[in-house]
Amino acid sequence: MRTILLAAVAVPLLVACKPGLPPDAYDVSKMDFKPKAAKVTAERNNGAFAEGAALSTGAELKKLDPSPVKTVRLDTTHKVIEIAPGVKFSAWTFGDQVPGPTVRARVGDRIRFVMTNRSDEPAPVPQLVAAPMMHSMDFHAAMVSPQDKYRSIAPGQTIEFEFTANYPGIFMYHCGTPMILEHIASGMYGAVIVEPRGGYPTKADREYIVVQSEFYVKPSPGKQKVDGAPLYVLDGDRLRAAQPTHTVFNGVHNGMVKQPLAAKPGERVRMFVLNVGPSKTSSFHIVGTIFDRVWIEGNPDNQFRGMQTVLLGSSNAAIVEYLIPEEGSYIMVDHHFANASQGAIGLVSTEAKPPAKDLEHHNMQASATPTDPDAVAGKLAFESKCLACHSVGGGRKLGPDIAGATKRHDAAWLTRWLKEPEKMLQSDATAKAMLKEYNNVPMPNQSLSDAEIRQYLKYFQWIDSQPAGSVKPQAGGH
Amino acid sequence: MKTAPIAALFFLAGEAVACGYCVEDKIASTYDHAIVTRALARGHHVAFFHVDGAPVARRALEEATAGVPGIDKGSARISPDLLTLSFSFDPARASLLQLNTQLDRRLSARKASLTPLRIMEQPADLKTVKR
Repeated sequence: MRTILLAAVAVPLLVACKPGLPPDAYDVSKMDFKPKAAKVTAERNNGAFAEGAALSTGAELKKLDPSPVKTVRLDTTHKVIEIAPGVKFSAWTFGDQVPGPTVRARVGDRIRFVMTNRSDEPAPVPQLVAAPMMHSMDFHAAMVSPQDKYRSIAPGQTIEFEFTANYPGIFMYHCGTPMILEHIASGMYGAVIVEPRGGYPTKADREYIVVQSEFYVKPSPGKQKVDGAPLYVLDGDRLRAAQPTHTVFNGVHNGMVKQPLAAKPGERVRMFVLNVGPSKTSSFHIVGTIFDRVWIEGNPDNQFRGMQTVLLGSSNAAIVEYLIPEEGSYIMVDHHFANASQGAIGLVSTEAKPPAKDLEHHNMQASATPTDPDAVAGKLAFESKCLACHSVGGGRKLGPDIAGATKRHDAAWLTRWLKEPEKMLQSDATAKAMLKEYNNVPMPNQSLSDAEIRQYLKYFQWIDSQPAGSVKPQAGGH
Repeated sequence: MKTAPIAALFFLAGEAVACGYCVEDKIASTYDHAIVTRALARGHHVAFFHVDGAPVARRALEEATAGVPGIDKGSARISPDLLTLSFSFDPARASLLQLNTQLDRRLSARKASLTPLRIMEQPADLKTVKR
């Protein structure tokens, strides 16, 4: 009885209070779901591959275009891109770049999207790019029927559709045509930034986007060359096993080490971070600062303060805001260091050219890279399995420095050593002496195949062919 | 008590087909641009089918299309995962309906049949099949 009485009093009070409550930003009755059927035609666009005032093509983001309707064109192409020095990869793209251009909009904006499948356009060297195929567009920022808007279109076809951005955030877009894994791993992804209707609650001096992704590549079976370097193609086995060869920011191995993002002491940087995967998690961290604010999924309503790292699964995103405390080069890394060792490193620097000594300190210098496919494979294997015990030119660790290994031992000895270290330790005088020298820590048998051993040796030989001190592994810590 | 596991299985099954569910996804799984270009240049058409009924092995589908008058030799493309079959054919020798009927007859012993999804009669134009 008392409950009923309380309710009788409380309900009118709550109703009376309602006009004082802030409006619900997520009131679905105020969201725009105006459906308009997608249109597919055979009209081919022959102009620019990417068009629209709302697009940014690099890490530096353009300010929000104030127009409430954003017309965006992102055509699909097949082209060769360089994902690491000497690694020319046969990619599939949106807007002729990897990652695709970033779309920037605001809650309530209407996006008018158009895409021509131009994968059949003649390439400068046709045999280097994949055969034309069907493609599609899946915008995570949209709430639409996938069967209508995200349908695959054939080469030469054009699809147009519209949607309204109802939620703020950083949203992935990608090709959704089977096998989706292959389309994403070949480069078909990008970001849509949707600002809150009233903008962000802070004022930033710089805005950048960082898209993390993995590549899974192997030398092309046909041994094609691009400008003298081997052509690389998608490695389906590695892809399905989730064993990337490169993990990168903005499409390039160590790309933002060579071209750091600029910031000045005292400035607040707003960084939009998207991990597109397709299969790995990112533990995004910046050496030398703390994230003042982290807005999970890029929505200020999902806020954390004072974070060191933000964990992003595939297709997760966050806005991280931080201060640049003093002059220096602040190092962006995926703190899963196996990923960082594959290229997920970049700099935010107060200098146009960051001083090498800072990088030396963190052992993350963008170093010379072999181009021979076997040496590249050996390098990747070495960096993922051996760096805990061996340095490259950094002196002894648990085991000997690998620099100079091919000068200290001949290829036959090294081959036997990598193949059967436990037998060598019983029968070979040099091996026995090494065991003693290195505190009786034995070299473990890694069960390497003959092909893998050959790749290691190629890498070791390449190291010893470089000027002393010029080669560093891509992994490191601090 | 049985409901929960059954519901879970149903949910998982739905998840399994979520990617590749759309008609265009099925078409994409067997779309071969070289076949399409070659066929259309000769005035031939390319047809895309969904494989209904009991699971049919790739080899059985290849055998079913082999030697059928009108179907271009070597043009069959099969996606066992998305249950899709495509091939190019000469419309002057056989209509799509005739080919569909003939292939259904060949597959009937395996308790399978074909549903036409789209036909391509000219470049960049995937038409819905009207029966």
